[in-house]
Amino acid sequence: MNVVESKGLSKQFRNVGAVNELSFALNGKKITGLIGPNGAGKTTLLKLMAGFLRPTAGEILVFGETPFNNLKVSSNLVFIDDNMTFPASLSIAEILSAASEFYPNWDEKFALRLFDYFELNPNQRHLGLSKGMKSTFNMIIGIAARCPLTIFDEPTTGMDTAVRKDFYRAVLNDYLQHPRTIVFSSHMLGEIENFLEDVLLLKDGSKRLHLPVEGLKEYALGLRGEADTIARFADGKEVLHRERFGGQNLYTVIENNLGDADIQAAKAAGLEVLPVSTADLCVYLTSKGKGGIDDVFQRE
Amino acid sequence: MHYATCVIWGVDMKIAPDGNLPIYRQIAQWLENEILSGNIETDEKVYSQYQLAQMFNINPATAAKGLNILADADVLYKKRGLGMFVSPQARDMIARKRRDEVLQQMVDNLVREAGRLDVGEGELLAMVRAAIKGEVKNR
Repeated sequence: MNVVESKGLSKQFRNVGAVNELSFALNGKKITGLIGPNGAGKTTLLKLMAGFLRPTAGEILVFGETPFNNLKVSSNLVFIDDNMTFPASLSIAEILSAASEFYPNWDEKFALRLFDYFELNPNQRHLGLSKGMKSTFNMIIGIAARCPLTIFDEPTTGMDTAVRKDFYRAVLNDYLQHPRTIVFSSHMLGEIENFLEDVLLLKDGSKRLHLPVEGLKEYALGLRGEADTIARFADGKEVLHRERFGGQNLYTVIENNLGDADIQAAKAAGLEVLPVSTADLCVYLTSKGKGGIDDVFQRE
Repeated sequence: MHYATCVIWGVDMKIAPDGNLPIYRQIAQWLENEILSGNIETDEKVYSQYQLAQMFNINPATAAKGLNILADADVLYKKRGLGMFVSPQARDMIARKRRDEVLQQMVDNLVREAGRLDVGEGELLAMVRAAIKGEVKNR
């Protein structure tokens, strides 16, 4: 059974479509990265998944059921973002011990070990935490809850590099011991790609790509060199990105269906054949076709 | 290039997360190196996908893909429920493959670069011979 399944899912806020006829399925105990530019519909989709929002059209099923107003779904998932509110009268240590009441798989000892490791002050109030500390505390709740569906929406806001690294490793280690479905939205694909299994890429509220992260890494190739030579090799291929590079040279990103022989031939013809980072690729795949920032600086 | 290093069980490993090779190929290559250097011997069990995931801080599915390309190439063999083991012909196969693919490609690149720099055949061969001599002396 699919953990999450959506068919023709749409959500509009007044007249603005945030999610548009989106169909996809998440199956198995995988870590999936939800990627897309600002305004692509990531948060809306995650809130629909968590049952915080009701779809305008189409359907979304979580554990085979409609998540909105659903006790079975909400008791089996945890949704972490930076807008989480907790009772202002409780200290964060008290919140942590109260959390065990809400999550059947809650691992109290593990939560406390993380709490100590990240040096959170048990007497502090959630409202008084800094941005990074708040994210760290929320993350502890998200991991220790061990919910069959764990959703992190931009969980690393405000965390410094060291804490982010620890966080990724903590999620991975705990996932290895307790496999479950984890959905993780982030702008920093480069940082998280190694611990993802699949990537779901959104553009304008619709699915652009849904594939294993390794497939994304080999999805495209960059060719750099003389425009005419590039045109010869890019002929008949989907061009994902093109920019000028120096005088007559071009940098072109094409869909990677070149064989080894083609690549050798391209090199022999004086082209540089470059790998395209997944982060750059996602930018190209979701660009609005307005050209690059350089065009803004073009004089008339 | 930026390297991620982790030291577990006294083994020092490096992978280049933003290197040119996909991570699963780097995992396969690292395992091949371990076999070539004799750190993992014939008929010995190799690391599981979960151990590799923890060692290299990567998704276990990626680690499994690295193991599977070696199994598909018969460098490793599977024992049901027990894991993957180094096949008797592994070392020869890896050495042959590296000679055919990696070394040949390096030579191709060398010749191409020499062409770009107008280094003639005689001069290039002399450089190669000198490099071989230097290598022998260093040993």
